[in-house]
Amino acid sequence: MRLITHNMLQCHVKNCNDNNFPLRLEEVEVELVEADFQPEFLQNIIGKLEWPAFVNTAVQLGNTNLPATIPDNAKDNEEFLKVLHTALLETHVQQGKMVCPNCSHVYPIKDGIPNMLLAEHEI
Amino acid sequence: MSKPQPVAVTTPTENEKSYEEEHVHNVYQTIASHFSDTRYKPWPVVEDFLNGLELGSIGADIGCGNGKYIGVNPNVCILGSDRSSNLIQIVRDRGFEGMVCDGLNTPYRTDAFDFAISIAVIHHFSTPERRRSAIEEILRVVKPGSPILIFVWALEQSKFSKRNFDKTQQDVFVPWMLSTAKTNNDEAAVEESPKKVYQRYYHLFAQGELDELIVETGMADISRSGYDRDNHYVIAIKK
Ligand SMILES: [Zn+2]
Repeated sequence: MRLITHNMLQCHVKNCNDNNFPLRLEEVEVELVEADFQPEFLQNIIGKLEWPAFVNTAVQLGNTNLPATIPDNAKDNEEFLKVLHTALLETHVQQGKMVCPNCSHVYPIKDGIPNMLLAEHEI
Repeated sequence: MSKPQPVAVTTPTENEKSYEEEHVHNVYQTIASHFSDTRYKPWPVVEDFLNGLELGSIGADIGCGNGKYIGVNPNVCILGSDRSSNLIQIVRDRGFEGMVCDGLNTPYRTDAFDFAISIAVIHHFSTPERRRSAIEEILRVVKPGSPILIFVWALEQSKFSKRNFDKTQQDVFVPWMLSTAKTNNDEAAVEESPKKVYQRYYHLFAQGELDELIVETGMADISRSGYDRDNHYVIAIKK
């Protein structure tokens, strides 16, 4: 699971509607997998991210290279785009779990695959 | 050898979930690998839809199967999910990313995506209410003004023989023949080995039925609908 995916996720347990995002990453194994650097793609992606959640999640994984707010010149700032590229598209969570900040539900990640299925009573 | 033909079934009025568990989920878990080998060519309507998206769009492929659409357009990001962990493992083995979740209850944020697709998925839900709920869930996760593309199997089929297939029967089991041979290396052995038959549940959509369901949600306007390769499809825009 890449962080771009994580940024789109929230807890979906029944009645868990507040403070259910972002899911906290715990006990993770992370792998960097090289991907093509596409500046135009990244330029268009920036505005679609929940930025603070993305930065906090990267920090949980030990990546402190992202600025707390999106720089004004983000689209022309190649250094920033490269840092973004690595955090967003090259950082893969291979093992670990995602924990809901509200209800503490645990979603496991095994071999890079999050399992988001809920039990009958949680739906 | 003639194509296996669908047989009409009566759907249950309760425990729909366990019915789908047995006649959809468990079957896909079992046939995942063989199924995936037969699903490699993207359908042109889906391909055109994906290739027409803006650079840097992020979307969801809900019920992505073996993930054959995830890499179609490298200028967009598609997050694939499926109820079958074995199919998602195949997605992963092909070098893509996927997650396991239920189409009626996905873990995505509301209004998160620029588009979403659901290709040959909604016809596996066994009641009109569940089919509509699945569509509502797809619409929930895309931004207002964003398109969704849904494909479902059509009742109006070219490949079913009239002898075996009653046009008034929309709920059917479609057999999947799985060879019991262990290896694929010897084609003759696979061909001659005994086949085990797995029955998958389908609801075959009549002309206009998918459009109606989408309108019923009150969440989207139909942009385009059509028929292609024994399927009905609709592109709708979230209100
Ligand atoms: Zn929760």
